[in-house]
Amino acid sequence: MIYVIDHNDSFTHNVVHQFSLFDKVECDNYNNINRLKLKQAKVIIFSPGPGNPKNYPSTSEIYYQNKGKKKMIGICLGFQQILFCEGAKIVEQNKIYHGYQSRVKVIDKSSIFKKNKIFKVGRYHSLKLKEPFKVNDFVITMRCLDSKVAMAFENNKDKIYGFQFHPESFLTNNGHLLIKKILSS
Amino acid sequence: MNKAYQLQDIDRSNKPYIIYKSRKGFDLYTDFSKKIILNNRNVFGFLNKKIPTKRFKETDLFIGFFGYELLNNLIGVKIPKQRNINFSKGIFYKPEKKISLNNKLIYTPKKRISFKKKFKININRQSYKKIFDKFKKKIKSGETYQIKICTKYKMKSKVDSLDLFCRLSRANLAPEAFMVKDKDYSIISCSPENLITKTGTIITTKPIAGTVKKSRFMTKKKALKYFRNNLKETKEHNMIVDMERSDMSRICRAGSVRLSKKKVVEEYKDLFHYVSLIKGQLKRNLKNIDIIKAMMPGGSVIGCPKISTLNLLNNQERENRNIYTGSFGYIKFNGDLKFNIIIRSILNFKNTSEISVASGVVVDSNSRHEFNENYLKAKALIDLFK
Repeated sequence: MIYVIDHNDSFTHNVVHQFSLFDKVECDNYNNINRLKLKQAKVIIFSPGPGNPKNYPSTSEIYYQNKGKKKMIGICLGFQQILFCEGAKIVEQNKIYHGYQSRVKVIDKSSIFKKNKIFKVGRYHSLKLKEPFKVNDFVITMRCLDSKVAMAFENNKDKIYGFQFHPESFLTNNGHLLIKKILSS
Repeated sequence: MNKAYQLQDIDRSNKPYIIYKSRKGFDLYTDFSKKIILNNRNVFGFLNKKIPTKRFKETDLFIGFFGYELLNNLIGVKIPKQRNINFSKGIFYKPEKKISLNNKLIYTPKKRISFKKKFKININRQSYKKIFDKFKKKIKSGETYQIKICTKYKMKSKVDSLDLFCRLSRANLAPEAFMVKDKDYSIISCSPENLITKTGTIITTKPIAGTVKKSRFMTKKKALKYFRNNLKETKEHNMIVDMERSDMSRICRAGSVRLSKKKVVEEYKDLFHYVSLIKGQLKRNLKNIDIIKAMMPGGSVIGCPKISTLNLLNNQERENRNIYTGSFGYIKFNGDLKFNIIIRSILNFKNTSEISVASGVVVDSNSRHEFNENYLKAKALIDLFK
């Protein structure tokens, strides 16, 4: 079972439907977490959402408790949440991308996606990862072709993954494939 | 009854009635056997009701509206104390008579009312800019991605509602136009936007983001080009599409939600709209309340993401929205639903006419432009009062 933690977002149920293609999915609000479901879940998804990772301490707690034990995937805010838990700074961008289709490129360090492959993806984020970012086992694997902002990371040791863009958006081509690869890695 | 005068006769009989745009013309509902006035408590019972569906007649439906406050309450969003004219939070009627009318509504008013006063706006340009700048900061910090500021125009007046509606429909034959006339209030609207159409187990929604006026130079082809090249409209539209997909996914079977029309131009009498059509197959054993809660208030007139944007709006707005951005439509006893989003509307209550409009703040919008756009949207309705 995949457990999606919803941060009151208006895109969460697209995420739920996308993961439902691969396994049974349960979804609850971040302030209404079911401990039993959390325990039973094989994979935990941190949904997109408004605001800043520091507004969601209970989600951070779930991350710390399950790091190394379960596969975890963060999308948009979820991506930032994981990095924030690892000590990263999440900052405002000069140019903001809401409802924007951009091209992202796989840079050489991915063990899941082919190097130099370019994806068209949908973006909805005000904030971004502040770089340089260096934490053991975490590597940035995709970047926006134009702005070079970090768009995906992998931690293959602990099976933790994140996308700053939205694989579930209709603006993302081959979003299902991205999710399939992450789930089977 | 002479067909040409039947509309006039019904209006003069002083019976409450409702007119709603149908595919070919208009449907008129009257002879109401029940009137249900909704509040924050009885709405749950109303929407949970199971209705027997044997021998279904075309008047077997509840027709009416949900106001904005009621819809917020349904999804657990609180509205702080606001200035309030104590208009009903929602009203539904059970009609016993339905009459089909064609697109040309014939009505001659007894006497033309002349309007001496002018509409007054509740937020001036400076305060609008302040709110605008505040919300822009909220976009930068990620609390909202798109938010619609509402402004309200009011005028003391007596109106001939049917005359206003007929003139409005002549100027703009909108696909979701409707009128409600009861003893103590009336609503007139040329809403273009359908929020829910449920037939059997299939549900669709048709968000609009992007409107342009027709002209000799603005053809359908050029309109499409205009929308595609307009980055702001495109981004707003994309956001609404993903948001509506997600709202539908709450109540539809996994994998069944499809974008069946992706960013196309639809042609109306005077306008082009940039629309998408999203379709899905409903899960089993849903109640009406599940569908209403998932879809309302309609996202395209609120902003995104819905909950945090509603909270920002409600903490900002000093005046109750009443019907504006609520939904009008019907619940058939066989389970089918049709609801629009109440925009481009006039509420006449207690001898005051009220028009609300909103336009979107996204990261690259400009306060002056949006303020003027709000005025343009209101002007089409204000001009009826001449």
